[in-house]
Amino acid sequence: MEILRNLGRRKLRSGLTISGIVIGIFALTTMGAMAEHMNALLAGGETYFGSSISVHGDGQGQSLLPMSKVAEVAQVPGVAAASPSYGFNAKPGDQNGISFGPGDLILSWDPNLSHSAFNLNFTQGHAPTARGEVAMGSDIAREFNKKVGDTIDLPVRPANAKPDFQSHSFTVVGLLGKTRTMPDTVAWITVPDAQVLLKDSLPAAIRDTVDTSQLTDSITAYGASGASLATLDQIAQRITDTVPGVQADKPSQTVGQFKSASTIFTAITTGAAVLALIVGGLSVINTMLMAVGERVREIGLKKAVGARTRHVLREFVTEAALIGAIGGGLGYGLGVALTTILNALMGASNPNQELFLVTPTLSVLAIGFAVAMGTVAGIIPAWRAARLDPVTALRAQ
Amino acid sequence: MATIEVRNLTKHYRQGKNLIRALDGVSLTFEEAEFVSVVGRSGSGKTTLLDLIGLLMRPTSGTVLIDGMDTAGLRDGQRADLRGRRIGFVFQEYNLLPALNVLENVMLPLRYQGGGREGRARALELLETVGLGDRTHSRADELSGGQQQRVAIARALVNRPALVLADEPTGALDTQTADELVTLMRRLNREELVSVVVVTHDLDLAARTDRVIRLKDGTVLSDDGQAAKVA
Repeated sequence: MEILRNLGRRKLRSGLTISGIVIGIFALTTMGAMAEHMNALLAGGETYFGSSISVHGDGQGQSLLPMSKVAEVAQVPGVAAASPSYGFNAKPGDQNGISFGPGDLILSWDPNLSHSAFNLNFTQGHAPTARGEVAMGSDIAREFNKKVGDTIDLPVRPANAKPDFQSHSFTVVGLLGKTRTMPDTVAWITVPDAQVLLKDSLPAAIRDTVDTSQLTDSITAYGASGASLATLDQIAQRITDTVPGVQADKPSQTVGQFKSASTIFTAITTGAAVLALIVGGLSVINTMLMAVGERVREIGLKKAVGARTRHVLREFVTEAALIGAIGGGLGYGLGVALTTILNALMGASNPNQELFLVTPTLSVLAIGFAVAMGTVAGIIPAWRAARLDPVTALRAQ
Repeated sequence: MATIEVRNLTKHYRQGKNLIRALDGVSLTFEEAEFVSVVGRSGSGKTTLLDLIGLLMRPTSGTVLIDGMDTAGLRDGQRADLRGRRIGFVFQEYNLLPALNVLENVMLPLRYQGGGREGRARALELLETVGLGDRTHSRADELSGGQQQRVAIARALVNRPALVLADEPTGALDTQTADELVTLMRRLNREELVSVVVVTHDLDLAARTDRVIRLKDGTVLSDDGQAAKVA
């Protein structure tokens, strides 16, 4: 209570100091929430691509692979399972809006996904098992306002669709839980349906001459459960070496790309934290030094009535920490409010456009950082106060 | 046993090339419930003596004994504890904390020495005694000078000290208020059985004490009450 009253006695100065911390922690919260959103996205990719091997054409021939390659890849020592894999843009020609993720996709459901470390859970229904069935990620389901039993035409017909544009009606049979990464924006269909979409995507001139049931976009291979990145890299190399006409990406390289991107976003958070540290920390030091200067006699009196050095030290450090806590709480609150509003505005039409994610880790970091900063910044002024000679302090003018 | 005893207290300062002998070989004894004044011109060593007895500074040589305990070898923290428990202070400028209300100011020493609920009751009782029982939640700056000094007296007594050291306690008050304050201090000295040592320029105030110690150039020129007592 005494601390709050002391802060209240110098409203303008306390207000300005707290404002400095508010700005710093506000920046930390908003930048951090953006980084957390991106890092969640990247972490999902890291988990998925770190536990599977993507196999595609070797670039020498056609980009599509014959279905026979799936069996060949599956025969490579170390490969536990291999599946054909197809991917399409769910909204071809969509140029509107900004997407902060991979965008809406149609992917073939992989029954072997259980071999991956990436877990997908259905909140309703189940995976597509028959022609005409689709399971939807949480964001894309919200975007199109679909629930189990509804139908949806995929791919979504663009406004400027060509005359031969084809879309097909699918019944929603499953809804996936939120993962905060790519699957949230994916509509999952069966391989036979994906092969129909593959045919639709081919140039009209060759469309009817190609049997897409014998082709695949790419192959996803899995190692034994819990296989390390190094093991998967070895398997990828083995696939490239032993299966003609294919190239297997080493998971470590893909994961490395994700980690590099993640490092950038972590650097953004760190930069915001440094900004907060400089602005807030110097403000607290300045304010507390002035407070010590003004309250010299008060310190002398406290020592006269029995306060030890540690008592005075603790009182001033607590005051500095409280300044940090108030500034941190307000800055964090403003940051959460702004990110929530922006997410609501940007995600109203398309959840994939949400940009911020305030995680418990970020919350603890933002407020904890503010308190720690206040505490550390308060140590020097508090030490100066605590070491004051009581006689000199009592006689100070 | 004497409550407070000072033995051959000396305090020398170095000011440039000059050695200032603020106090030079002073020995005194304060018994329980004495009401003593220390008088002398500016620079005679009054305030230095008060600071040394109050364990606020260390002597160049000599020692202060409190309840028979030699304080010379105590560390700063131990001196702070002893000061908090056995010595109360009253200053000319009251030195009340503006962030605390009247009751909280009186209870301030309890923050460092403990006291809890019993201490709060003691503080309230003292505020009644000094006539401020109805101002417990007032801010210090809402009180007159005399009232503020009464709060300071209550604060000095809250830990039931053996000795209260008052440095020019009436220096900032008008004559009537000063007179009332001395009467109050005298009453509390008897009721609380606490020794009170008042450093003052005010000879009228000194005349109302049981014992007058005159200092000059850092030495005891006379110790009237003690002489009377010995005689």
